[in-house]
Amino acid sequence: MLVLAGCPGPEEPAVRGEAPTVDAAAPVLRRLTDSQYRNAVASLFGPGIVLPANLEPDVPVDELRALGAAVTTISPYGVEQYETAAYQIAEQALSDPGWVAAHVPCTPTAIRDDACARTALEPLGLAVLRRPLEVEELDGLVALAGTAAEALGSFEEGLEYPLARLLQSPAFLYRVEVGENGRYSGYELASRLSFFLWDDVPDAELYAAAAAGELATDAGLAVQVDRMLADPRARAGVRNLFTDLFRLYRLDQIAKDPAVFNAYGPELKASAREETLRVIEYQVFDRDAPYRDLFTSRLTFLDRGLAALYGVRAPAREGFGGVELPVSLGRAGLLGHASILMMEAHPVSTSVTRRGVFVRTALLCHEIPPPPADVDTSIPEPSPDAPTMRERVAVHLEEPTCAGCHRLTDPIGLGLENFDGIGAWRDLENGAAIDPSGELEGRAFDTPSGLAQVIATHPDLAQCLVRRAVASAVGRAPESDDAMLAWHAEGFAESDQRVLWLLRDIVTSPAFARVGEVE
Amino acid sequence: MNRRTLLRGMLGGTAVAVGLPLLEQMLDANGTALANGGALPVRFGLFFWGNGVVPDHWIPQGTGTGWVASEGLAPVEHLRSVLTIVTGTSMRLPNIHPHSSGAAGILSGAPVLADNPGSFSAPTIDQIIAAEVGDATLFRSLQTAATDINGLSWNGPNSRNPAESDPYALYERLFGPTFVEPGSGGVVDPRLGLRRSVLDGVMGDIAALQGRLGSADRTRLDQHLTGVRELETRLARLQEDPPDLEACVAPEAPLASFPDIDGRPQLQARNRAIAKLLAMAFACDQTRVFGHYFTEPINDVLFTDATAGHHDLTHNEPGDQPEVQAITLQVMEAYAAFVEEFQAIPEGGATLLDSCAILGCTEHSLGRTHSVDDLPLLIAGSACNAIVNGVHHRAAGQDNASKVMLTLVRAAGVLAPTFGVDEAETSDGLSEIEV
Repeated sequence: MLVLAGCPGPEEPAVRGEAPTVDAAAPVLRRLTDSQYRNAVASLFGPGIVLPANLEPDVPVDELRALGAAVTTISPYGVEQYETAAYQIAEQALSDPGWVAAHVPCTPTAIRDDACARTALEPLGLAVLRRPLEVEELDGLVALAGTAAEALGSFEEGLEYPLARLLQSPAFLYRVEVGENGRYSGYELASRLSFFLWDDVPDAELYAAAAAGELATDAGLAVQVDRMLADPRARAGVRNLFTDLFRLYRLDQIAKDPAVFNAYGPELKASAREETLRVIEYQVFDRDAPYRDLFTSRLTFLDRGLAALYGVRAPAREGFGGVELPVSLGRAGLLGHASILMMEAHPVSTSVTRRGVFVRTALLCHEIPPPPADVDTSIPEPSPDAPTMRERVAVHLEEPTCAGCHRLTDPIGLGLENFDGIGAWRDLENGAAIDPSGELEGRAFDTPSGLAQVIATHPDLAQCLVRRAVASAVGRAPESDDAMLAWHAEGFAESDQRVLWLLRDIVTSPAFARVGEVE
Repeated sequence: MNRRTLLRGMLGGTAVAVGLPLLEQMLDANGTALANGGALPVRFGLFFWGNGVVPDHWIPQGTGTGWVASEGLAPVEHLRSVLTIVTGTSMRLPNIHPHSSGAAGILSGAPVLADNPGSFSAPTIDQIIAAEVGDATLFRSLQTAATDINGLSWNGPNSRNPAESDPYALYERLFGPTFVEPGSGGVVDPRLGLRRSVLDGVMGDIAALQGRLGSADRTRLDQHLTGVRELETRLARLQEDPPDLEACVAPEAPLASFPDIDGRPQLQARNRAIAKLLAMAFACDQTRVFGHYFTEPINDVLFTDATAGHHDLTHNEPGDQPEVQAITLQVMEAYAAFVEEFQAIPEGGATLLDSCAILGCTEHSLGRTHSVDDLPLLIAGSACNAIVNGVHHRAAGQDNASKVMLTLVRAAGVLAPTFGVDEAETSDGLSEIEV
C-alpha cells in the first residue's frame, strides 16, 4: 500500500490568517449519486453484490453531478428500480454464508425469533441509515422480520424485508444532514466526510469517532481526516471528484465513426478515461504534486491501445503501465489526454469550440454564454483556400455576432488542432500544415504543450479547482464573493497547490461543520 | 361493479374524466364506445426526435385532404388516412438556449429554468395528461428511448421521468415475471403483501422526514412519495384480477442487446422493438400514456450512411443538406414504425391507433439556424374521433404551437383551461384539426 510521504499534518506552517466568519448555509438534501449508491452497497453487503445496470441516473447541474444530486428528485421509475435493487441486494447478502456469519451473530431458535432479528438489525440499521435507529424504528423492523418470517416459513427469508425497507428508506437514499444548534451532528459530519473523501459510507472507526464526539474537536477531526486521506478509499473519492470536475462521465455518451478513426473502438474511451484517472491518482497521491503539474506532466499510464494511439511502445504487456512520453511527441498534460480530446470533439472531427469551452468553463471557471438562436452557425467546408480549421473558423472570429464568444474559445481549441477527434497526433490537415499557435489573454503559445504551460500557470486555474471542489463538498455552488473561497484559495497557493491539502482544508474548515436553519 | 363506471371528479383543480381499467365486455359491438354509452379511454403518445428538419424538404404541398407528400414525408405517406400534419406554428417564448428552449417551449409551453437550463420548469404534455388519466393503470406513463438518453418527460423543475432505452429491460418491466395473463385471476403471493407493507413504511419515513426539511426539499420528497405510492398501488393491482382484454397477449421478448454496427447504433431495430412493447402495453391497458425519444436535442448520433453526427451535419453540411434530409427519412421511417405497431392491434371493431393520438415533434424547424418557427408536427390517430385525420393544416401567421398541445390534452380527456405560460399561453386549441 502507498505510504503518503508528503501528507501535510496540522503542524504545517500557515501564513494565512484565521478562517473568516461566514453565515452558515441552509441544509442541502442530496440524493446518493449512482457511484455512492453502488459503493455503499459494496461496503455494506459485499463487493460481489450484483446490481441492476441502470438506476436513477445522475443529472449534472452546472456540469457537476454533485450539484445535481442536491436539486433533482427520485422519479417513479427510480423508486421502482431502487425497490428491485433492494430485494436483489437483500437476497444476495442473505444467501452469502460469509456475510450472514458476520452480520447475523445468532442462531434463530424458531422461524420467528425477535431477539435474534433485533441483534442483527440494530447494527445493520446504523450502517445503512448512517445513524443509530430510533427505538420505534428498530421495533418496526423486528416486527416486519417476524411477520415476513411467519408468512414465508423462514427466519432468513424474513430478514429480507427489514433489509429491503432500510435500503428504500429516505435516510439511506438521501443524505439527511440538518444539524442541531448550528452544527452538524457527529453522524452527519461522518457522512459528509466519507462521501466527499471516499465517495462511500463511513466505516466503523469513523462512526465510533462520531459517537464519541471526537469529530466535534479540531484534534479529533484531524485524526480522522488524516486517516481517511491515507486510506485507499480516498483514491476512489478523488477519482470521483475529478470525474465530475473534468466531466469524464460524458465519455459514456460519445460516439466516433470507426470509418474515420480506424483506431477507435468502444474500449478506447474506457481506456482513455482510465488513463486520466490514473494520472490524477498518481499526481495527487503518489507524488503529492502541485495541481498545475497535471497540465504539463509527460508522465502517464497507457495500455496497448492508447500506446498505439500515442505512438509509443506499450509500457505493459497487459493492462496499464507507467511511461514518460518523449518531448518529441509534443503531447503533455491533461490536454494531451485522449479522454478530453475525444470527449470535446465531434464523431468524425475535432471541435475547436468545444475544446475551448472545456478549458474556459471546466478548468478556469469562466462563463461562456450559449450561442444566439436564429443564426446560421455553419462554417465553410475545407477548400484549397481554407484547408485547415484555422481558416475555416475565421468567419466565427470575424463576424461580430459570433466573435464575442468564439474569440474566447476557438483560439484555445486551435492550439489543440494537432490532436484529431480521438486524440491522435497529426501534423497536417487536408495536406496543409496545422498552425497551433495563438495566445490566451496576452500569453502566446506555439504548440499544444506551449498552450498547456499557459493554462498550467493561469491565475484562474487553482481558484477554479477550489470553487468546484467546495461545490462538490457542500452540494451547492458557492457565491462568487464567498469569503471562504478566498481563504481556501490563499491556503491552496501556500500549499503549492497540493490537492490533498485542499481537500483536507475544505473538510476541516469551520464552515464545513456548521449548518444554518432550514429555509 | 364499480370498475365499469366512469367517474367524473376534480383532480388537482382540473375537472377530468377518470378512466378505470378497460374490460372488453365494456365495449359495444363496434368497439367504438362503451356498452353503457361512455367514451373509450383515449391514449396519448409522444414520438420525439432531435435537431429539427430541413423545412423545404419536409413541408407537404397543399392543405386539407389533398396534400401531396414532400420527399421528407414519403416514409409516412402510406399512413395518410390516419395522419394529421400541422405546419406553420411557432414556439413563441424567447429562444434563448438553442435546442433547450425549443424543446421545453413546445412540450411544456414554458421556458427552461433560468438557473439550470438543463431542466424544464413545468410539466410536459405527457405528464399533464398522465396526471389525470394515469391513476387508472399500472403505470402512470412509460418513457422510452431508442438511444441511451434520459428523455424529455418532466414533472416540473429538476424532476424528470427518465426513459428506458433497453428494449429488454422494458420487456422485463412490462411482461416479465410480474406480468399477469389476462383472465388468469390475480397473483396470490405473500411476498406482494409484504412488499406493500414495506412501501407503506417507506411512505411513513418520507412524510416524517419532510417535517424536518425546507420547502424545496419537501417538494422533492413529494415527488418521491408519489413514486412510492404508485408502486404500492401497482402491487395492489397485481393481486387483483387483471382486465380481460382480447388483444392483450404477452409479446415475445426482444433481443437482449442491439450492438452498434460499424459504429452506428441499431436505431430502427431498437425503435421497432420498443414500439411493439408500447403498443401491447396499451392493448393490455398497463398505461395510457407514453413518451418515446427516438433521439434527443443536440444529438450527434451517427445515422446509417451519414458521414458525420446529426447535430454536426445540421450546422455544417452545406447547401440543401442532403445528408440531413436522409436522416429525416430515417426519423420518419421510425415514426411510421410506431404508427404501424399501434395499427396492427385490433380493438373492438377498430384498431388500437384509433383511440390514440401519437404526436411526432422535434425542437426546431430548420436545425441549422435553431429556428422555432414553422415547426414540423405530426399526429397519428384520431384520439377516438376527436382529431381530424387525413389532413395537412398550415397555420397562418405563425400561430401558437401550444394550441396543438392544448388540442391534444383535451382530446385525451383532460379539461384543461390553458396550455403554456407567457407568450406561449393559449386557452384555445387548434380548432381546424378538432372534430
